[in-house]
Amino acid sequence: MKNRIEEIRKARGVNQEELAKALGVSRQTISSLENGRYNPSIELAYKLSKYFGMTIEEVFIFEEAEK
Amino acid sequence: MRDYSKRIYLSIFWIIVGAALFAAGSFGKIDSFWSGMGGALIGVGIVQTIRWAHYRNDPEYKEKFDTQTHDERNRFIANKAWAWAGYLSVLTGAAAAIAFKVASKDDISYFCSIAVCLLMILYWICWLVLKRKY
Repeated sequence: MKNRIEEIRKARGVNQEELAKALGVSRQTISSLENGRYNPSIELAYKLSKYFGMTIEEVFIFEEAEK
Repeated sequence: MRDYSKRIYLSIFWIIVGAALFAAGSFGKIDSFWSGMGGALIGVGIVQTIRWAHYRNDPEYKEKFDTQTHDERNRFIANKAWAWAGYLSVLTGAAAAIAFKVASKDDISYFCSIAVCLLMILYWICWLVLKRKY
């Protein structure tokens, strides 16, 4: 799933380390999320959106998988 | 992780058990297999004791350790690695069973076949348990 984490994070002037610490995850997890290599759990997606003061739909871009 | 004191005691317990096995093996009371296991337990116990003592005394290490332990991506990777390891074990065992049969090593082939069957049974038991849980 695509997301706007990197874009929003940079716009807020937050680095990966700070975001990771605020969410209680490793910096590598933030990096993987930004690169789209790892999809977060609903809990982490919720925490991320809440941290940015946005809705999940604003942070994550849902695209129907091709059949 | 709040129970680090218990973990230190457990690590010390393994050192004591390991030392007892090693000593008994060294004096010829038990088989050398057990003294080897005793040596391994001493090593693991020492490493774990140092690790938990470090965890207790260094807040920075504690925070890093807790983050790495509870990180959901790390857990996901660990689960995936176990799944791959299990799957590859079955494939390797099956391939080995065929290879040994072709090489007329019937006993080893039989052993590999049984191991693969046991793994498959274990998989189905786990699957049924997890199916009930989720």
